[in-house]
Order: sequence, then structure tokens, then C-alpha cells
Amino acid sequence: MEKTWEIDAANTVKARFGAFGRKLVTVNGTEVHDTRKAGKKGGIAFPLPDGRRAAISVKGQLVGGPEIDLRVDGGLVVETPKAPIRCAACDTAAKPYDRFCGKCGQAMPTAEDYRAKKYVRHATGAIKWLAVLFLAFGVLMYFVTKGQADAALVKLQGAEPGASYTVGDETLGVEELRARLEWEPKGVLVVNLILAAIMAVLAWWGRRAPLPAVLIATAVYVVVIVFNAIADPATIGQGVIMKIIIIAFLAKGIKAALALRAANA
Amino acid sequence: MPEAAGQCPACLRGIRAGTRFCPGCGQTLGAAPAAAPPGGGARSAAAAQFAEHWGELKGVLWLFGLLLATSFVAGLVSRTDSSPWPSVVVTAVDAAIVLVAAGLRRRRLVFLFKVHAIGARRALELAAASLLFLVAMSGYFAVLKNLGVPFSSATESFARAGWPAWTMIVTISVLPALFEELAFRGVIQSSLERIFNARDAWLIQAALFSVLHLSPLVFPSHFLMGLWFGHLRMRSRSIYPGMLVHGAWNAFVVLEELAG
Repeated sequence: MEKTWEIDAANTVKARFGAFGRKLVTVNGTEVHDTRKAGKKGGIAFPLPDGRRAAISVKGQLVGGPEIDLRVDGGLVVETPKAPIRCAACDTAAKPYDRFCGKCGQAMPTAEDYRAKKYVRHATGAIKWLAVLFLAFGVLMYFVTKGQADAALVKLQGAEPGASYTVGDETLGVEELRARLEWEPKGVLVVNLILAAIMAVLAWWGRRAPLPAVLIATAVYVVVIVFNAIADPATIGQGVIMKIIIIAFLAKGIKAALALRAANA
Repeated sequence: MPEAAGQCPACLRGIRAGTRFCPGCGQTLGAAPAAAPPGGGARSAAAAQFAEHWGELKGVLWLFGLLLATSFVAGLVSRTDSSPWPSVVVTAVDAAIVLVAAGLRRRRLVFLFKVHAIGARRALELAAASLLFLVAMSGYFAVLKNLGVPFSSATESFARAGWPAWTMIVTISVLPALFEELAFRGVIQSSLERIFNARDAWLIQAALFSVLHLSPLVFPSHFLMGLWFGHLRMRSRSIYPGMLVHGAWNAFVVLEELAG
């Protein structure tokens, strides 16, 4: 993995993260750090040719890959992307270190803004994934539940018309139980289709208004977890890592979208 | 290396050819240097706004989280206890939570407790539209029931325990209407209006209201209810019409179950 930061017109820092934890850092093509030689752990500090202090930090994240930052005199530097940076107002190409567009004077996003945008992208991506997951889970569970309900309905065929059955704390007659069993697979499908539709709408809305969309998606997802836990407390532990990852993406997205709103206000 | 075409008179940064504004400080090139380059002030204002909005949002999330937690506990308890007591206790705890949240924001919410003159014609329009809305909602639920969708009974545990009808009216109809309106159209909608525009705040409170009913099957219908109660609050600038219509809907559900 290679990362490049154009700090200003005269200074470019490149960091290469190779196999077996090797980290090679160059400033304007001159090597300033190589873990193979230095063997240092943690942040990589080095001076720039003009005397400013620079430091690269690598922070592991709960979700996603590590966050690699370059700070110069404490200020976060915008990473040079593969595609050229363009002004959002006039589409003029700009340098990563430009604070304002040279053509229209519009303020360019800061490194913090780019990071917030990344988190928001992750969060809206998680909403899309949830839409797909609810859809796939609904279809899968429809067939699983239908198989179980059909087997129970076959057993119910021989039951006395006046017989009653206890389901949870309810006592149901044969006809009531039959109706309940017939509804069960449809119910699973309908509930998951509703959730998939909600997430799909939120993913679409999230392109225009990420903060409300991510906020609602988080609430819906947490409520679904709680709803399932009430119905069957054993579900709390099922897929707990996946649940934590999705909630972490969404929660980070909320904070990042709020920061972006404040920056753009 | 970009082509240097001069220097910014304000920040002395080298500038590229063809630029009209300094990319470093935003100074209009060719104009007299500004007294203070823009940027720093805007950033600190953004940080202050972020802190204020984040504090407001945390308040909303706390309230929503606490109400969700009480629903979760009540749901778990009602798995083993079929008496009406879990329902009564959760109503009381929710009421306490909402009252504390509203008390912390009482100065901002005081306008919702005043009756504002909106004109007889507009009041009649809202009343007629509310009636139509309730009829549409009851029709929607009747269609779902005819399709075989099972709904849990709100009054069954009360009836089984032999509690009188007025306890159901108070616990299922009146108190939830008062405190849900105070929570969602009061605290939450007002807090969200400080972060978002009125339309987004309206949509979000309705979504939170619908999902807190903990049943995906009623998400769409309760989202519409949240929208309507929020609309009433915005049109009347008061929380009372929403409480009235919400209470009427809850009472209709209770009476329908008792009659059936």
C-alpha cells in the first residue's frame, strides 16, 4: 500500500507499507525512514527540508482498515488522491494543499472534511448492505419457515376440530393455529421486505441528506435487534460481531455527517 | 512543480498562473490585501456549531435509547409475566423519563403548551383532516387483519386480570398519547429543529416514533401517524391537537378490542 501527501509545492511525502510490517517513508524522493533499518514502532516522525516537523501515524480501527495520517506541525494533511481534486463549485482542478479554489475562491475541503466524507460514505454503504441483507435474509427465511410451517400443518390435519394448543402464553384453537402457521412464512417475508425497502429508501435519501438517513437507519437497525431479542433473547449473541461492525459504521457516519454539515454551514 | 506566477500580497504564498484567488488564504488577487484572511473564523464557528448540534443530537439519542431500553425490558418481562403490571410500570417509567427530558428543555418547549389562535377555518380543516386520517388508519388495519396479519392485543392482559375498562383507557390510550407526544413532537422534534430544517426534523421524529413501536409491520402506518401528529404540531404550534388525535386513535383501538 502506498500513500502520497503533497504538503505544498515544494514537499511531497510518500509512505509505502510493505509486507511483514515494513514502512518506507520518502520526502521528495529521499528516504527518511525505513523500519527495516530503524525498527521503530508506533508513529514515524521526521523533519521536512524546511525544518517543519512531520509525523505519520498508523491507527488500527475497530472496523475497516487502519487509518494512516500525516501531520505537519500538528495539522492534518490531505492525502493526494488518485483522481485529481476538483473544486465542488466550479470543477477547476486544485492541489490537495489548496485551502481555496484559485478560480472561484470557494473554500476547499480540509483533511478532516475528507475523512468525514469517507465515514459518511461507509455509513451509507452500510445502509445499502443492510437493504441487501434484509432482502436476502427474508427470502431465505421464507423458505425455511415455510418448510417448518408446512410440516406442522400436515401434523395439524389429523387434529380434532375442538382441540386447543398452547403456543407461548396463548391458547389457540385448530383453526387459529392453522391461520397462524399459514401466516408465519408470509410474515417473515413481509417484515424483511419492509425493512429492505426502508433501507433502500434511506440509502437513496442518504445521497442527498446523509445525516437524517444514517440516523434513521441506525435507529431502525437497533430496533430490529431489540425486536428480535424480545422475541428470542438468544438472537442477541447471533452475529454479534457483524452487528457491532454495522453499528460502528453507522455511528461514525452520524458524527462525520454532523461535522460535515457544520463545516459546510 | 506548478508554474509560479507571482506571490499573494496577503500571505506571501507563491501562486500559479491563471488564478484569481490565492489558494492559500482566499485573497482576491489584484485587490488590496484583506485585513484578516478568511478561514480561521469559519473553522472555529463550524467547530462551535458541531459541538452544539452534537450535544443536541446526543440528548435525542439518550431519550430514544432510554425509551427503547424500557420497551426492551418490558418485552422481556412480559414473556414470563402475562399480567398488565409490566405495561403499567413501563408507562410510568417512560412518563418519568419524558418529564425529565422535557423539564431540562422547559424554556424551549413552553410555546407548545400555549393555545395559539389559528383561526376557526384552519382549526376545522385540521379537525376534519384528522378525522379522515383516523378513518383511513382504521381502514388500513382492517385490511391487514382481513389479510390474516396477526396483531397482539393491547387489552388482553388487562381483561384477563379482570382490570376495569378505565384502567385500559388510562394506561393504553391517555398516558401514551400525552407522553409520546411530549417526547416525539415536543422534545425530539424541537431538538431536531435546532440541527435540521423543519422538514427533515419532521421526517426524523416520525421515523423514530414509528420504529419505537417495535413492530416492523406497523412501521409504515405509524410513520404516517408520526407525520400527521408532527404536521398538527407545526400547523397549530401547539402539542395539544396531536395529543387529542393520538389519544382518540388509542381510545379507538382499545374500544374496538373491548367491543370485539
